[in-house]
Amino acid sequence: MDRTLKAFSLLLSYPTCELQHAMPEISAVLASDTRLTAAARRALRPLVEELSGRDIYELEEQFVLLFDRSRTLSLNLFEHVHGESRDRGGAMVSLVETYREGGFDPVTSELPDHLPVLLEFLATRPPLVAQETLADAAHIFEALNARLIRRESPYGAVFASLIQLAGVKADKEAVAEMLAQPDDDPTDLEALDEVWEESEVLFGPDPNAGCPQAREMLAQMDLPVNPAPRHAAE
Amino acid sequence: MSHLLDKLNFLESKNLEEFSDGFGKTTNESRDWEDTYRNRWRHDKVVRSTHGVNCTGSCSWKIYVKSGIVTWETQQTDYPRTRADLPNHEPRGCARGASYSWYLYSANRVKNPLVRGRLMKVWRKMRETMDPIAAWTKLQADPILRASYVETRGKGGFVRATWDEATEITAAANAYTAKTYGPDRVFGFSPIPAMSMVSYAAGSRYLSLMGGVCMSFYDWYCDLPPASPMTWGEQTDVPESADWYNSGYLLLWGSNVPQTRTPDAHFYTEARYKGTKSAVICPDYSEAAKFGDVWLNAKQGTDAALAMAFGHVILREFHLDRQCEYFEDYTRKYSDFPMLVKIEEKNGKMIPGRFLRADDLDGKLGEDNNPAWKTVAFDGVSNSLVAPNGSIGYRWGEDGEWNLEEKAKTADTKLKTTFVLDEDHDDVLGVDFPYFGGEAYGQFETDADHPDVLTRNIPVKRVKTADGEIAVATVFDLFCANYGLDRGLGGDWVTSDYADEMPGTPAWAEKITGVPADKIAHVAREFADNAEKTNGKSMIIIGAAMNHWFHMDMNYRGVINMLVMCGCVGQSGGGWAHYVGQEKLRPQTGWQPLAFALDWNRPPRHMNSTSAWYAHTDQWRYETLKADEILSPTAPEGDWDISLIDYNIRAERMGWLPSAPQLKTNPLEVAKAAKDAGKEIPAYVAENLKSGDLEMSCEDPDNPANWPRNLFVWRSNLLGSSGKGHEYFLKHLLGTDHGVMGKDLGEDGGQLPKEAKWHEDAPRGKLDLLVTIDFRMSTTAVYSDIVLPTASWYEKDDMNTSDMHPFIHPLQAAVDPAYESKSDWEIFKSIAKKFQEITPGYLEKETDIVALPILHDTPAEIAQDQVKDWKKGECDLIPGKTAPAYIAVERDYTALYDRFTALGPMLDKLGNGGKGISWDTQEEIDNLAALNGVQLDGAAAGRPKIETAIDACEVILMLAPETNGNVAVKAWHALEKATGREHAHLAKGEHGNKIRFHDIAAQPRKIISSPTWSGIESEKVSYNAGYTNVHELIPWRTLTGRQQLYQDHLWMLAFGEGFMSYRPPVDLKTITKDVQDDGDNLVLNFITPHQKWGIHSTYTDNLLMLTLNRGGPVVWLSEVDAKSAGIVDNDWIEVYNTNGALTARAVVSQRIKEGTTFMYHAQEKIVNTPGSEKTGHRGGIHNSVTRAVLKPTHMIGGYAQQSYGFNYYGTVGSNRDEFVVVRKMKKVDWLDKEESWKAPAQEAKV
Repeated sequence: MDRTLKAFSLLLSYPTCELQHAMPEISAVLASDTRLTAAARRALRPLVEELSGRDIYELEEQFVLLFDRSRTLSLNLFEHVHGESRDRGGAMVSLVETYREGGFDPVTSELPDHLPVLLEFLATRPPLVAQETLADAAHIFEALNARLIRRESPYGAVFASLIQLAGVKADKEAVAEMLAQPDDDPTDLEALDEVWEESEVLFGPDPNAGCPQAREMLAQMDLPVNPAPRHAAE
Repeated sequence: MSHLLDKLNFLESKNLEEFSDGFGKTTNESRDWEDTYRNRWRHDKVVRSTHGVNCTGSCSWKIYVKSGIVTWETQQTDYPRTRADLPNHEPRGCARGASYSWYLYSANRVKNPLVRGRLMKVWRKMRETMDPIAAWTKLQADPILRASYVETRGKGGFVRATWDEATEITAAANAYTAKTYGPDRVFGFSPIPAMSMVSYAAGSRYLSLMGGVCMSFYDWYCDLPPASPMTWGEQTDVPESADWYNSGYLLLWGSNVPQTRTPDAHFYTEARYKGTKSAVICPDYSEAAKFGDVWLNAKQGTDAALAMAFGHVILREFHLDRQCEYFEDYTRKYSDFPMLVKIEEKNGKMIPGRFLRADDLDGKLGEDNNPAWKTVAFDGVSNSLVAPNGSIGYRWGEDGEWNLEEKAKTADTKLKTTFVLDEDHDDVLGVDFPYFGGEAYGQFETDADHPDVLTRNIPVKRVKTADGEIAVATVFDLFCANYGLDRGLGGDWVTSDYADEMPGTPAWAEKITGVPADKIAHVAREFADNAEKTNGKSMIIIGAAMNHWFHMDMNYRGVINMLVMCGCVGQSGGGWAHYVGQEKLRPQTGWQPLAFALDWNRPPRHMNSTSAWYAHTDQWRYETLKADEILSPTAPEGDWDISLIDYNIRAERMGWLPSAPQLKTNPLEVAKAAKDAGKEIPAYVAENLKSGDLEMSCEDPDNPANWPRNLFVWRSNLLGSSGKGHEYFLKHLLGTDHGVMGKDLGEDGGQLPKEAKWHEDAPRGKLDLLVTIDFRMSTTAVYSDIVLPTASWYEKDDMNTSDMHPFIHPLQAAVDPAYESKSDWEIFKSIAKKFQEITPGYLEKETDIVALPILHDTPAEIAQDQVKDWKKGECDLIPGKTAPAYIAVERDYTALYDRFTALGPMLDKLGNGGKGISWDTQEEIDNLAALNGVQLDGAAAGRPKIETAIDACEVILMLAPETNGNVAVKAWHALEKATGREHAHLAKGEHGNKIRFHDIAAQPRKIISSPTWSGIESEKVSYNAGYTNVHELIPWRTLTGRQQLYQDHLWMLAFGEGFMSYRPPVDLKTITKDVQDDGDNLVLNFITPHQKWGIHSTYTDNLLMLTLNRGGPVVWLSEVDAKSAGIVDNDWIEVYNTNGALTARAVVSQRIKEGTTFMYHAQEKIVNTPGSEKTGHRGGIHNSVTRAVLKPTHMIGGYAQQSYGFNYYGTVGSNRDEFVVVRKMKKVDWLDKEESWKAPAQEAKV
């Protein structure tokens, strides 16, 4: 098993006391993996330290806020690929089938596209297969990294490391597209406004020319269709 | 993989074998490429389900599942067919429903039980040494610990919890509250049971077994039109949408059918193809306006004036100058037109008073039973006064004459509706009518040309009564005068000229509404003309908009008057169609025992939410409307100068409205004390209330002993959607950051209430615990202490019915609930289990005392023909007669779960029923025991099981007449006893028809006709309200037994609403000098209609729905108004008044009428909402600028149809009279930095 991928699966899971106790072991695995650059390994340290030493309730609150509550940081990968589209169900079906072909049945209440689930699965795959799959998701990792850095969260380092393991550079366009989502740069109001701006609706070749037929129809509508019934008081 | 390499493009093999006469042939190349197409739509199963909460559509859907994952949904197309010449129901289902599977796996779902982190930490620490109830007790006793989580509500800080922990905290809090303060301090709010009725019942069953409070929703949403109970004694009963097709004239009034009733709109379109004419009335150019042959753009809030003018024309042309035979006959038989009203003298002035009753006359017309409740009319056959069959006095205490046969004392009658002919009247008197047209303010047209009292000539008869000779008039004669019609009797304030600007005429209405007088006369004439030719097939589809004004009853009664004048109610294709908020729970009588645990103990605790929230969120402390501003100039003598909350307190005291909490002392303790004193409970409570040793909670809502302590919210977004006075909820009930900018009456030097106790410092944070059960992180969830993830609509078993169609069909678990979520049924079951586990030692078998108001449809409803307050010494306190009944209820807290999961023995003993009739149901209980099996052990051993949600569905289906033909026949027979007529033919042939859950899983099933409802299911007519009243002669459940257009209760007369009239919107004074900033000059009327981009109030946060709109909250403005404040389309704007502030983007549109602004209902503050400059907090929701205001006439009780019923009568939360300041925002701050959401609670800047 690829213990580094398994370690990342654990780091991105909901923090527990059990995880806190296992942090020395996890830390050792990460520190010794030479697929990661020295800088990447150094970057992971703040997260390792935080998970080892910080109050468990604060860790949990932070995790819920980041990964359960913020849609742009969702650990369900298809949230970033398919969003709320019809394709999402189908994509999850083929992911489950991939797990099954690989000899595993998912036994978790998490959905198949939950990143820790995927990482655990990849930890059991041949390195090349794992690398290929990670490379497919590199642009998501890049975007999540950027968003977490903006929030000054140490979790970003995990995603930077995953990109290194993927061994590719993320597709810049795809990353930019993800980062262009509105609530990501709330300080840039003009850019935001552009997103929501609606284009003007124009009618016909000359919008000021009016529409004679409609005018006639309206005039007709003003006329009573039925005259007053017999004996009506006027 | 492309399959180009496998597929032959240019060649075809020669050696082909053919089969099936050449239609099939064998090929040699690989055909794998075809799998791409096969797989695209491949699925493992298709499951029938629907969307569970609050959409009237109630459309059946096919849910496709592949490898345990929902992949897509499509509309079901297997509704049973309608009859020949009527279009079928399908396709039902709209784009909103079709996008639900996209939402199922969305990042917005709540995945795990969440608990506020600070609460969790303390809890776990305490649990190390203490049992759960001791831990919660300790926590509540420490003000610092309590404040640590209370003040962080709405500011993040959740951690995940296990189900075990989350249910344990909840159960411990409930048990502690029941023990310390009383079970009536545990509240639960959930709306609209018709959509997923088992999910509703799960929570209400748990609460009812505990003694907790189920809160109403229909009145709180202001979707309950009190005009309906006033007129018909029925909450709301309406035609199914298919009946639109049978109509000859459709008037859409404030209803936007194509936008808000999408799956039903096809009947409207189809009717138009058939030739049905349609007029549309709405202030804005709505989607419906485009469908109309005529569009009348009446000014918002002036509909009653329009209705009056329509009525004026109809009366003139079809009742007076010419008498349409059908209308004349219909109103004589089915309305109160012939009933006699006493003309009473007040300071030398004559005013219409009470109905004349048998009791008033010497000899009481020979009526010994309830003579005070039998109204009197003049019979033309015998030329004498008679007490016609059918009035409420005949309903109780005797059998056989509660019907609408034209009879009195078995003799045939022909009642006179008018004394206008010289030979019929003894005199012509000037009688006073109040006129409110001069009270308008602001942008509403003030009529200064007419006084506030209009004296009009009325033909009267003199009759001898026990108190001497008095004058009486028919309702019809008074009614015509009220519409300003000249009948040749001389006198002022009446006219025969439509162009005369006399109150009631089209010319007068034109001035107020802006609709041209000739168009008014034209539409009125066509409407009535069609009704005359078709015997009543003119219909009004009415929108909730009309009901959301403070004086909603005037709008609705104006409309109802038109329908009754034209004989439309109870006729297929005619009548009123109000499809808002209540949604017909068709198998109601089967559902009630399950939902309110009536199988174990009765009565349940029901509360009218408007009064409860008004008191408990302290909105009453800011009341700006004084009773004398709405009192009639013709009001009888009385102590009317009290605050609105004082009226509510009196109503509770007299047993008119329910109370929650009920007594300041824990009812479990009161019961013990009564026992110790050796006294019967009702007598003990009465004695101590009189002595002042017991106090009603309502008299001091801010006392900690009277706070609601725990609140469950499920299937609802109370804080994000329906919570009028949102900021007051935050400030007082929750105790967190809020945006209230006004001062309370104490700070403002206003007139303090007389009955309600005033505390200088208002409480903050009354609730100990707020638990929300939802599948998404709604605004309410964000403010909660515990959030429990529930199964969504494709993940649970449940049932739906609607008023839009007559079918019952299921929700089904197509897949297991995602993540850690569970169905509502399983959630409450697990809380009940926890409760039963932890409670021994604290609560055991206890006697509880439930205060029960005087209920409609029970013999008690004729309790108070006069208004008398025991506290003022006007009468004795007699529980159940002059005050609430106080009823002992035996609870077994150690068997809560055992009882939850089994059908109790109370049904065997007391039977089942509803709406005033009951029947034995032993046979059904035995059948359930055989079908569901019985519990083998525990406190409910031997009783039928209700373990699963499907078991619960079977209970409903078995017990309800609508789904069990055997019960339907029994129910009709029960009604026959009261009416003395044969009705069982309506269920003939259905005897053996029993609908099971698996039947509706196979196909939606049409329900069986039952006396619970006033329409029938048949091969000949579509479902329509009032049908059995008109065709079976079953009385309406009102005082007169007829459609009652005159209301004679003392409070109705005091507030000037004996008859309908135009009352302008009230001035709520929420734009004060203090709050309005210099330079902010745009003041608009704030309207909150329904939107296109959500399933009713659910899920505007679906990204696709958001993208179809503007991706966040928006407010609509007219071009002229926008220009005046320098606002252009898409600008960020701020909307505020003393109640609070909200932020949104401007949509500038020609569609909107000047002077108004629209904010679509239920746009969440969790979605793209920046901070408000005005309050410094995140901008609010649409209800941030509203506040509930009560109307005393809605509190009336103990008076026939004006008696309390859950979601039937009571105060309603109107919100359309509100005005706001609108301005462009200078700077948009998203408050998304860590500091801003963690900042300590700050006072709003005033």
